[in-house]
Amino acid sequence: MDRLYGTYLTSVRQLEVIELGHGIDAIQSARGRVSKDDSLPLVSLQNLTLGYDSEPVLQNVDLMIYPGDLIGLAGPNGSGKTTLFRAILGLLPILSGALSRNCPLSNFGYVPQSAALDAQFPLSTAEVVEMGAYGRIRPYEFFPAAEKKQIGKVLEQVGLRQLAARSFFSLSGGQKQRILIARALMVQPKIMILDEPLSGVDEESRKSISELLVGLTRHSGLAIFFSSHDIPMVRSVADRLLRVDKGRIWWEKKEVEIHP
Amino acid sequence: MSTFLEILSPSYLLFPALVGTAILGLVCPLIGSYLILRRTVFLGLTLPQIAAAGVSFTFWLQQTGFLLQWEQGERGIGMIGSLVFTFLGMGLLGYLEQRRKGIAEGRLAAAYALAGALTILFIVFNPAGQIEVLNLLKGEVIALSKGELRLLAAVFGLVLMGMLLFRREFLLTSFDRDLAFLSKGRQIIWDVLLYLLAGVSIAVGVILAGPLLLFGFLVLPALAARPLVNSMSSFLWLSSVLGLAMAFFGFYSSVRLDLPLGPTDVALGCCLIFLAYALRRISPKRALALIVLSSFALWSYGCGTTTPAAPLPEAKALSNETLWLAKVKNSTGLSLLLPSNNPLRSLAEMAGKISSDYRQSVMDLLREDLRRELEQRGFRIDLPEKTDARFPAFPADSGGAVRLAREGKLSGLIFISEIWRWEADSRQFVRVFADFKLIRIDDGTVLWERRIQRAVPTPSATNSGQASTDAATAIVHDLFTG
Repeated sequence: MDRLYGTYLTSVRQLEVIELGHGIDAIQSARGRVSKDDSLPLVSLQNLTLGYDSEPVLQNVDLMIYPGDLIGLAGPNGSGKTTLFRAILGLLPILSGALSRNCPLSNFGYVPQSAALDAQFPLSTAEVVEMGAYGRIRPYEFFPAAEKKQIGKVLEQVGLRQLAARSFFSLSGGQKQRILIARALMVQPKIMILDEPLSGVDEESRKSISELLVGLTRHSGLAIFFSSHDIPMVRSVADRLLRVDKGRIWWEKKEVEIHP
Repeated sequence: MSTFLEILSPSYLLFPALVGTAILGLVCPLIGSYLILRRTVFLGLTLPQIAAAGVSFTFWLQQTGFLLQWEQGERGIGMIGSLVFTFLGMGLLGYLEQRRKGIAEGRLAAAYALAGALTILFIVFNPAGQIEVLNLLKGEVIALSKGELRLLAAVFGLVLMGMLLFRREFLLTSFDRDLAFLSKGRQIIWDVLLYLLAGVSIAVGVILAGPLLLFGFLVLPALAARPLVNSMSSFLWLSSVLGLAMAFFGFYSSVRLDLPLGPTDVALGCCLIFLAYALRRISPKRALALIVLSSFALWSYGCGTTTPAAPLPEAKALSNETLWLAKVKNSTGLSLLLPSNNPLRSLAEMAGKISSDYRQSVMDLLREDLRRELEQRGFRIDLPEKTDARFPAFPADSGGAVRLAREGKLSGLIFISEIWRWEADSRQFVRVFADFKLIRIDDGTVLWERRIQRAVPTPSATNSGQASTDAATAIVHDLFTG
């Protein structure tokens, strides 16, 4: 059983994907083609069309994400930000174009909108963070002590270690977002994708989350791709800004402030 | 009357039933927790009903001759039907879910209604043994044999192991399917495994415990645990602990108060939910104090012995007055005739050639045993019908009995008995509810009275007639020995 499960996990983790607009079949045929070259982008999207039931939502998407990138995706609600994220994460088949990943899906840290999670679940903060490590642990294994230590570390990193025993859904919006970032860090990701991490949080939390994201990029070389409908805020945090609206996507030149 | 410690003894007659209920109480809430969290709680109601339809369908097939008689007995046949229908139902509901036909609640409600209707229709179609099928569908866990207990333990042991081994996977796929996909690949495997474990538990549980008790154990402990916890691990263990408490106290109340087990357990489970929400409103210290006090009260109630009933006055003390032993009144609405030992007479009775009068009834047995016991105690026994053959059975109402005796010009003492309930559901025990009174006719004084309301064990009985005979002897013995 051990060997069988190991083989299954390896096949899932080493799934470097080159999607060519043929959906799941392309994902399946690309199993095992893993590029180990770090100079390659972590994610590459070429002339991508995305949508649901053959109806395109986003067209002509071209994007490369390299280690250490801090890219913001800004656009109004319903413009296709989450659709793009879901396609990158392999949760949505692409309609046309090419999408390639230079690391397995298990190296993607995903931070969903906290409102999308079901508050019916009685979960402590530590249990939510612990989920980030589940991909590394076999079903019949005890939760390793090293992973328990890691939970403490990532909670420390987001500044919420003292809330480990608290109920996750009793936390404020900003605290929940930081805990979800801690869960994504627990995955030990190469790239982190955050869906509206700054929506529904107070000004102070916005500031601390922004600083956290910048710090993670600068100090650990993590690539971060996050979205928001608040364009000025994204402009102030991200190194590069991608705008999306009415089915189109384009890069916005960032103005450089010149101080005398 | 059994105390809580008595029913915990392995030598207790209904001990296998207690252990079976405890196993259900331990494991079912773990499955129910996920059904509640995934908001598929109606699946926990619909699947037992589908399983029940499977049970009645297989019995109908067997009666019509499409299915061969099986050595493993009725429950074995029923279990096959239960398993097949449960998995077919799950497959169909899963298929409709994937095709997104209609709304989820609507599909479950329609499936529940259809399964309920089919269950009744297959019972109606069944040309013989409707009562037996209904008894099986009621799933009297109290009649659980040791072999069935072993089966229950093996199946639920495997389910428990599965729930513990894959708890992380089940949690992840239930809570965040996107993260589950990124961490563990396609989550359908874990969905299928969770529903497989639920399906096996429901299919086996329905035939051994009945749909009502099973649904109660699936959802009520988890609903009671939810407001009291802040973490998933404590939610799961508290659900199981409350399930166990529901099983033990429900079983004890059922035995002590002579109530049917399923409804008693379910009522207790609902009380736990109200208690949980009440506890959440008060401070943790007060809640703890309340729990300790309640536990102590329950323990005292459970371990306390009942006051022994007053003994029957001695014959000498009653100046050796004549004791009229009235016919036992049958108020059950059933004939309570014992089956015939002579197959030829049975055939003649079925053909309408002879009446059923030749058969002995429970009332005859009871009166015969009462007469023997009272004579041994020195009473001078006479029968009212010897003075006038028109004397009917006397009612247990003292006033009515005295009036009837005086109208028949009887004097001295009269012993009256009335049966309210006599059910030999299983060969292992007979459920009895009967009243007995000794009254002085002259002044209408009730000198002694006893009420028997309990399941009377009949371990050595080989058929229902034998069970009734043994139960009558045991009751009369208990009646006078306290």
